[in-house]
Amino acid sequence: MDSLLNQAKAKVDRAELYRLERQTTPLAFRTGQLESIHTKQIGGYALRVVWNGHLGYATTTDSAQPEALLDAAMDAAAFGERVSLALPGPRADRGARRYDEDLASAPMEELVALGEQVVAGLESGAPEAETGVFVTRGIDRVSIENTSGLNVSEDRASIEVSVEVSCAQEDDIFIVADSIHARSLATLEADRLVDRVLRNLRWGETLVPAPSGKMPVVFTPRGAIAVLFPLVFGYSGRSVYLGTSPLKGKLGEVMFDPRVSLVDDGTVVDGLGGGGFDDEGVPTRRTPLIAGGEVAGFYYDLRTAELAGVGSTGNGFKGGMLGGADFRALPSASVSNLLLLPGEATLDELIEEVGDGLLVDTVLGLGQGNLSSGDFSNNVAVAYKIERGRIIGRVKNAMLAGNTYRLLNDRVVGIGDCPEWIFGRLFVPPLALSEVNVAAK
Amino acid sequence: MEQRIRTAIARSGADYTEVRVERSRRSRVFYQRDKLEGLETASELGGVVRCLKKGGWGVAVFNDLTRLEAKLAEAEKAAALVGAKTTEPVRLAPVSAIEAHVRAEQGRDVPLRRKKERMESYNRIILAESDKIVASNVHYRDVFREITYANSEGTYLIQEIPDTTLLLGAVASDGKGNIQQGFEMVGEAGGFDMVLHREEAARKAAQRATAMLDARSVGGGQYTVILDPELAGVFIHEAFGHFCEADFLFKNPRLAKIMTVGNEFGTRELNVVDEGYIAGRRGNLPYDDEGVARQKTYLIQEGRLRGLLHSRETAAKMGAEPTGNARAVSYEHPPIVRMRNTYIENGSSSFEEMIRDIDRGVYAIRAYGGETEFEQFSFSAAYAYEIIDGEIGGMLRDVVLTGNLFDTLRSIDRIGDDGSLFGGVGGCGKGGQNALPVTVGSPHIRIHNVTIGGK
Repeated sequence: MDSLLNQAKAKVDRAELYRLERQTTPLAFRTGQLESIHTKQIGGYALRVVWNGHLGYATTTDSAQPEALLDAAMDAAAFGERVSLALPGPRADRGARRYDEDLASAPMEELVALGEQVVAGLESGAPEAETGVFVTRGIDRVSIENTSGLNVSEDRASIEVSVEVSCAQEDDIFIVADSIHARSLATLEADRLVDRVLRNLRWGETLVPAPSGKMPVVFTPRGAIAVLFPLVFGYSGRSVYLGTSPLKGKLGEVMFDPRVSLVDDGTVVDGLGGGGFDDEGVPTRRTPLIAGGEVAGFYYDLRTAELAGVGSTGNGFKGGMLGGADFRALPSASVSNLLLLPGEATLDELIEEVGDGLLVDTVLGLGQGNLSSGDFSNNVAVAYKIERGRIIGRVKNAMLAGNTYRLLNDRVVGIGDCPEWIFGRLFVPPLALSEVNVAAK
Repeated sequence: MEQRIRTAIARSGADYTEVRVERSRRSRVFYQRDKLEGLETASELGGVVRCLKKGGWGVAVFNDLTRLEAKLAEAEKAAALVGAKTTEPVRLAPVSAIEAHVRAEQGRDVPLRRKKERMESYNRIILAESDKIVASNVHYRDVFREITYANSEGTYLIQEIPDTTLLLGAVASDGKGNIQQGFEMVGEAGGFDMVLHREEAARKAAQRATAMLDARSVGGGQYTVILDPELAGVFIHEAFGHFCEADFLFKNPRLAKIMTVGNEFGTRELNVVDEGYIAGRRGNLPYDDEGVARQKTYLIQEGRLRGLLHSRETAAKMGAEPTGNARAVSYEHPPIVRMRNTYIENGSSSFEEMIRDIDRGVYAIRAYGGETEFEQFSFSAAYAYEIIDGEIGGMLRDVVLTGNLFDTLRSIDRIGDDGSLFGGVGGCGKGGQNALPVTVGSPHIRIHNVTIGGK
């Protein structure tokens, strides 16, 4: 493949070769013991070309036949969309800060021991529960080379532990799922994950009837995603360009509570969504989306930026609005790491402040509902009833409904001080909102 | 390649060894509004080996097939590490060795230009339907996979599997912040021919998006609900079908107890099936990814649990027969227990009989999205109509149905006589293996006391 870009240079206007080499090592532990070990080593190439002003794209796993890849991309470009697609030029490497040698070279036995440690922690705290523990080490090398002279490569390593604990009784199953990740074994806070899960299990021991009506709701970081998800759509430069975002034409307007600040930041090393550069080789950066309640910016990839007449914000990632895909997909406007900036209240203070209401930890059906309008409607998977400022038990079979833009405007009770990573790329504190609709069965 | 695979397996030191190699070709055409935002092809080759040693699984995935032997050794080593720790060694239910080559001719050799031109025409139809249409999504995908499977018990299979999907989506706006969508979907185990002559579907998608601008948002509460065949099919797959996947149950005795064969789940008219082959359907799989031949499996018969879906591992563990449901979405994964073509069989009610005694209810059509977690489910209907005094009333939107699976199955009181099957455009997701082609189906069904979320 080394010669591919030179061949392309002779034949087409512009070309970009993306290469991913990915090694993943997922370990699964079930019912307290190691169940399986996988080792995955995949490698693929994606070639994007502009030929006579038209765009073409092709991917392959076959490194032996670069000509076939170029032919395939040119076949598509023969009648592809007319684009200009100015590719980024050469730049200095910022160094590989997302790669920890100790993690990358840790022997399998060490990963097994990590999983066993989490299993033991869960079993001692909740001996009756069924546990699933999943340890995954990921090592990526992303290389991007283009005909504008860019040639960058970055190694990224991460370790993730996710757990799923279930307590089943006749006609009632209570499941707590949670995960944590880090860029090195030394910084992985596996004990905190265990504590969080055990805390949820304790809160949920008693089942209480779900309340109905409009009420204040405290969202844990995981639960808050239900409210924030429409913003991922609404702040996409693509949605704004298409006019499917309600934020179109609202730049500079105050649309949210002054305590709400939202930032996309691909430079945050701990987040799995970023990198030194995005999947188009554009350096990542910090892009304020909401600054003290004001609409401050949107996020763009190269293609959307071109359509909208602005510049890329380093948000061209493969895999839709949340990114995270492998070499196969075309890059598109996608959040890198999305950060809701923390407030000052602890979770306990938020719970005390709402008095009577719900604490929502997990919802089903994320992204259902009308993302354009910001209306969301989700079944609660894990939620607890708050009475007189205290958690009194778990509720089930309840629906939450609301409108993100409305709730984050004049119904913010408070924002918590302790953000957590969700999906590896959303860094979100607890959030308390008033007048959320709850429909119980 | 065949000799190489057979020799490598013969030399493996594991107790059980299998190799699966997948060669695939894909293409995609994607129009968004007036722009051709995706036009691409892909060719892929990869493999996965799976070894069992002392009852432990080891799996290795790779693209470089010249490293087959090294990857077998790697999987064997991982398996040994697991096997040394396990107190519950994996066993595989016995099946007979099979040699077969399943061919599929559809789906080859249509030039990308023809696909692009057809999608362009559908896109034009959507955009031209009304001045309220502000965006469109016309998304065509096809894949032709050739899968070679071999194991140390003598099975050697080659299967060719085509899959083609088309989404025709329209977005309408009233210019005052009300933005709605409409869509039509096609999904078949075939080639480009499957998506020809869809002009009417494109128009319908655009008309529905426009009509949705005037739909009322439904009020939250409890309703008697009629599900259309597509939404009922998604419901039975998502909310119930996943519960029948034995890998979900076999390490959890308490859950397995709820799902004991013979337990009553619904009316005597309720029959639920998972079937391995129905001509042209996306869920088809003549042999599963463990080389087990397909069969038709009743999950519910006359209201009672009749059987579960099994891999060889779960069948051995639970004393059942493998059902041909071990599926992997690609060479990047080992097989897990998955559904194929899953549907509710026809009952005896006409639509008229279902609706006429409903005073106030909701007729919910097609799934826009859905998620389940154990017994709790949540589905949003693409659109809906209110039912008033036995008649269809105005259009509704934002209809999200939620509830407890067991209560809901018991609350199905009428099953229609008008079943049909749907391939959809995405597929099923489980355990990190997403967009697995499946088919769902049902006649219309009526359910009492369904909770609908609303404002």
